[in-house]
Amino acid sequence: MAVIRDMMPAFELFRPVSVDDALQLMARHGEAAWALAGGLDTFDWLKDRIKRPEAVIDLGAISEMRGITADRGGLTIGAMTTLTEVATSPEVVESFSLLSMAAFHVATPQIRNQGTIGGNVAQDTRCWYYRGGWPCYRAGGNICYAAAPKAMNREHCILGAKRCVAVNPSDTAPALIALDAQMVIRSAGGERVVAAEDFFMSPAVDITRMTVLEPDELLTEIRIPETWSRARFYFEKVRDRQSWDFSLVTVASAMRMSGGRVQDARIVVNGVAPRPVRVTEAESVLIGSPANESIGLAAGEAAIRRAKPLRHNDFKRPLMRNLIRRAIRGQEA
Amino acid sequence: MAEKTIGRDIAPPDLVAKVTGRAKYAEDFRAEGMVFAKLLASPMPHARVRSIDTSEALAMDGVFGVLTADEVPQPGAPNEPALTNEPLYEGEAILAVAAIDETTAADAIEKIRMDLEPLPFVLDPLDSLRPDGPNARLDGNTRIGREVQTIKWSEEDFAAAADGHMPVGQPGDEWSYGDVDAAFDAADLVLDETIVHQSLTHHPLESRSCMAYWQNGKLFIHGSTQSTARTRAAIARGLGLELHDVVLIAEYCGGGFGSKISGSTIMQVPALLSRKIGRPVMLRITRAEETYLGRARPGFQAKAKIGYRADGRVVAMELFIVQDNGPYGRSGDFRTAADMASLTYQVPAMRFGGVSVYTNTPPKSAQRAPGGGQITSMLEPIMDKAARELGIDRVALRHINVPDNDGVFGPRRRGLTSAYVREALDRGVELFGWEERAARSGQRHGSMVTGIGIGVSSFVGGSSGFDGLLMIREDGKLYVHQGIGNLGTHSIADTARAAADVLGMPWDRVEIVWGDTSRHLPWSAVQAGSQTTHAHTRANHAAAMDAKRKLQEIAAGDLGGSPGDYETGDGRVYRRNDRDTGMTFARAARRATQLGGKYSGEELPEDINAMTVTSAQALAGEGLMGVAKDTYPHEGSTFSFVVGFAEVEVDFETGHVVVKDYTAVTDCGTVLHPRSLAAQLYGGGVQGMGMARSQRWVFDPQWGVSFAKRLYTARPPGILDVPLEMKWAAVGIPDPQTPVGAKGIGEPPLGAGAAAITSAIADALGGRCLCRTPLTADMILAAVEGREQPYGPLETHV
Amino acid sequence: MEIFRRVANPWNQEVLIGISWDVMWAAAWAGLAFVVFHAVFVWGAGKKPEHAGADHGSAAGVPERVERHVVAARVFHWTMALAMFTLLITAFFPVLGIQFAWVTIHWMAGVLLILSVAYHIVHATLKQDFWSMWIEGRDVADVIRLLKGFLTRTDGRSRTGKYPADHKLYHHLIVVVAGFAIVTGLLMMVRVDTPFWTRNPYLLADSTWGVVYVLHGFSGVALITLVMAHVYFAIRPEKLWMTRSMIYGWVGREQFLEHHDPERWVVTGAAGVEPPSLSAGGVAESVPQDPDSAP
Repeated sequence: MAVIRDMMPAFELFRPVSVDDALQLMARHGEAAWALAGGLDTFDWLKDRIKRPEAVIDLGAISEMRGITADRGGLTIGAMTTLTEVATSPEVVESFSLLSMAAFHVATPQIRNQGTIGGNVAQDTRCWYYRGGWPCYRAGGNICYAAAPKAMNREHCILGAKRCVAVNPSDTAPALIALDAQMVIRSAGGERVVAAEDFFMSPAVDITRMTVLEPDELLTEIRIPETWSRARFYFEKVRDRQSWDFSLVTVASAMRMSGGRVQDARIVVNGVAPRPVRVTEAESVLIGSPANESIGLAAGEAAIRRAKPLRHNDFKRPLMRNLIRRAIRGQEA
Repeated sequence: MAEKTIGRDIAPPDLVAKVTGRAKYAEDFRAEGMVFAKLLASPMPHARVRSIDTSEALAMDGVFGVLTADEVPQPGAPNEPALTNEPLYEGEAILAVAAIDETTAADAIEKIRMDLEPLPFVLDPLDSLRPDGPNARLDGNTRIGREVQTIKWSEEDFAAAADGHMPVGQPGDEWSYGDVDAAFDAADLVLDETIVHQSLTHHPLESRSCMAYWQNGKLFIHGSTQSTARTRAAIARGLGLELHDVVLIAEYCGGGFGSKISGSTIMQVPALLSRKIGRPVMLRITRAEETYLGRARPGFQAKAKIGYRADGRVVAMELFIVQDNGPYGRSGDFRTAADMASLTYQVPAMRFGGVSVYTNTPPKSAQRAPGGGQITSMLEPIMDKAARELGIDRVALRHINVPDNDGVFGPRRRGLTSAYVREALDRGVELFGWEERAARSGQRHGSMVTGIGIGVSSFVGGSSGFDGLLMIREDGKLYVHQGIGNLGTHSIADTARAAADVLGMPWDRVEIVWGDTSRHLPWSAVQAGSQTTHAHTRANHAAAMDAKRKLQEIAAGDLGGSPGDYETGDGRVYRRNDRDTGMTFARAARRATQLGGKYSGEELPEDINAMTVTSAQALAGEGLMGVAKDTYPHEGSTFSFVVGFAEVEVDFETGHVVVKDYTAVTDCGTVLHPRSLAAQLYGGGVQGMGMARSQRWVFDPQWGVSFAKRLYTARPPGILDVPLEMKWAAVGIPDPQTPVGAKGIGEPPLGAGAAAITSAIADALGGRCLCRTPLTADMILAAVEGREQPYGPLETHV
Repeated sequence: MEIFRRVANPWNQEVLIGISWDVMWAAAWAGLAFVVFHAVFVWGAGKKPEHAGADHGSAAGVPERVERHVVAARVFHWTMALAMFTLLITAFFPVLGIQFAWVTIHWMAGVLLILSVAYHIVHATLKQDFWSMWIEGRDVADVIRLLKGFLTRTDGRSRTGKYPADHKLYHHLIVVVAGFAIVTGLLMMVRVDTPFWTRNPYLLADSTWGVVYVLHGFSGVALITLVMAHVYFAIRPEKLWMTRSMIYGWVGREQFLEHHDPERWVVTGAAGVEPPSLSAGGVAESVPQDPDSAP
């Protein structure tokens, strides 16, 4: 049967007003259901007729999934809060500017107005082989086209490749991991909370999913503990265009200093692996040392020691090293 | 006397409609009983249709019919049909389905069974030139003259090139002038570089959607096109119709950049499908389809060998270009590139060779400064390298080489109408602050290294010999009929200024008639090749002069004296030495109607085009007609020039490039419309920056399938990728060979923007020319870090 | 039930990518059905009479403990078993929804399997009695008798050589099935990055890879059935003596005489230097020499 792309097929649209209703719909439709947040990831899939859900459940009318509330020094952010709201919220900007910077670096103002933080962390990879509807591992096939000898894999991963070499494209995910955020997941059966770091799925475990969300589960809110409030933050996203582009490499870091030395730190990179990577190799170099250029370089080098480039993405090694270096020494060279 | 319109900022008449959304583009039209079409595209880069079974699709409710390749005209090889049974690139349309809505049409496509036989394909032109390399077409890999032929190079040809250097074998085209070898021998410095310029899609914001229906055997077609008169002719020719059986409505066009010069072949699909099923058919082209059907700039893999005298004068050049032609036709970019190189550097002895190789990639066509854009952005950093090696200022090197009014170019050593490039350079040096900035070149603060770039870009700026047609009606207004298109450049209004100024007509009493061939339009240039400003200020000038003569004659006849005693202005024709003696244009128009003959268009000049005759005949008797063919002298070729200056900062830790500042100075003759000129200089400059920096065109080499088919993967530049403020200036010296003095300016800004960036990046890298586009962060970082480049030196489509 | 999994490749050509997981379930159910059927059938048949002929004339030379599997053979067997179980678990548990990082373990277990099989081939050829696993004319008769006995619920078992005919058949079936799994698995290693090479999915054509995956799939699921049957027999009470021998290496004289025909399995007494020695005594653990090497 012939293939046609870029033309959305018909589907049944649900617009629940509560999380419970949404979860019931998810449970009822099972694998045929599709949770729709801002639609930036979804509509590409639908328009290309590659993902063919029968029931699209639009979460846009669920007010309980929106908003940012201060909570014992931390924050609770509804998953349907828009990226613009996250980027501009005074609470986020004051205490967790790392997250507001990350949200601000997503795509374009229009997309940030429409896109949500939940959608941003749960979005699918942008590997163009996979997004092209090719029957790769991630799509349930038995091949990774992007890792083939002549493949075009400039944007693909240098770390953590497990059959699939796609990268996680989220800008906010590394910031949330650096902030030790907790992801609140609900299903009709109840609620579970996982650490942001564990929210993302390795392809070694389940190659067809980006997150631990089961088909009947929703990410309903994100909790940010007080831990890293007003810490020393650094966020940088390197991309080909300064708007409407996914990152080549992104770094998000949080540091606590004590007596000129780093007391504790989180360094997280994205765009380099199938899931956002907390770079413990770099953290361990850093902790107990001053945050300067030489420590930064040493930490960066440690971080890329295990990196293995594909044919066209060797540049991500020095890029990742340098971003970690910058995160540690700060803006100034 | 009304203030001259030329040189003033006047908002074009369609502005409000555009910004309020009232303007109707092709896909906004609806007609009674209209249905929608969808295309079935080839999943393979080269294949043959063995069988198609549409029975299940046709059995669906709401499906009205299918159009196959057997039902559309199949032009002779190597020309492109609207639908094909031998797709030559992934995404090529094989058939179309018409249905009540697009959802149904798409569902119907999915019910079609199609058996395709895969055929050998090739993406990289050099692969096809290898002795055992595949051909993109079954009948050959290049076109020489009218014939499709095959050129293969020997293993020795490939082996002779040093590692990573451009191999040179049998050319399909070649020319030379001067004693090239002797000139190289005498040169003080010879640079021999390998350059790779990407192919890239046009990406007009409006895709080539089209709606068509038939009434009484007449085709009514709403399309997106750069030109009006010429598109109608192309549609008629393509479908074998008489010109008068085609009514084209195309008042607005959301960009073409050379991809919609005379419409698109795909316009045949709704036209023929509509005729077949007896209903209006709308074909909306999606963004992904647009990147397949929407044309692309041909890429180059080339060798540029340049000899210099110690003072920086270019004394010899050898250019050998392998061009990625796509699967159809024959692109002229590589030849134009050689002409532009010959012109820009006034090369005294030059040899050119090249092959335009068929590939199984989407079809190529002119894209803003075709050939010029590529070669300018590639050669300018090499000129910088020479300046560095010779120890001379980079502006000085340009100064000594660029053409002036005595300039000649190309193998036939043709002359120019005018060239004030040195003036533009001088003005730019001042405006940009070259001396001060050049001193900052290579300075590092933090991880950022400053690069200063310069790009001198030449491109054709005008043709001549077209018709002007205007009416002064009994309402006293001047109606300028324009057969050119409303591409978005404002030339639809700006070229009418020539007529207004000749007649001294206030602009608010000038009406532009355009965009609908039933509105009696004259034969016109294609709205391409930066011809329009030049060609149609001339044609409108000629028609206005004709009208003016007629006004003078009518006034003299009615009011006494000789025609020469009369002048026109402010909507009146009056006695020069007695302004009160005269008549309004309204009265003159009534008189013209009464007088008939040439005055009202009953008698027409002999030399105008048949289409203008038909239009004039239809308008005859409705007032005073000005109609004439442009026969003004036009000796030599018309070129416009833009010099671009850029300051960039290259982040040596990330490879990221920030464009801090951009200044463009042009020699395009008389400035018609300053704001519109600025839009061309900036818009073309930004497009060039995107070409040089971020825009991509990528295929999987194993499957021949394209990836950069969405705007976010193709990456044309965004607003944050360009400097917040840019500066521009124009030399403003009129071209002596045209009555208004204006030359076209659509194209050369692109090469200037691209070259200023490639030059500035090379400057920041200490003079190292990566000699390829796009120059992305990965390549720059690899260069800075001393790592291997991410792509091979001759690798294309990256 | 689907047999194959097919997808549309990037050119929208339908290609085979493997077997349907329905086949896995079918294999598992087949294994279970066999086990249940056999168990019920045997249970229904009641207690079997003792073997006749335990007093075979040549029994005199049989020691108290007869070595059945030398250390090397046992190590091989259990290594292979470990590899096999690992392979099956890593292959099929993720399909069942028990998700973990299985690929590396799977191919490493595959490498272990291959190494152990390679060792076994060399060992069996050079050091062991290669022909003891060969199917002879008498084996055919044994099998016919066995089947007849099973169906008529009489004891069809006869005293055999070292390896009973049904064991030989099982062995050869495993050779074939695991052989397919190993060969196809080796080919599939081309698609895995290892320290020695970078993967290349385009080494074979789409359609050829499809066949490779299907063969690997079928042999894999067949192994589910075969392993189920094997484990079942290994833990059947009347077979435990054999299972024990795979642990300790020897069988007792009684079991030997009950199940084996000393003429078909000629047992050497000690040190294997001479034909049947009369010296009784433990040979198994203390004797390094492989008794199978006797002519």
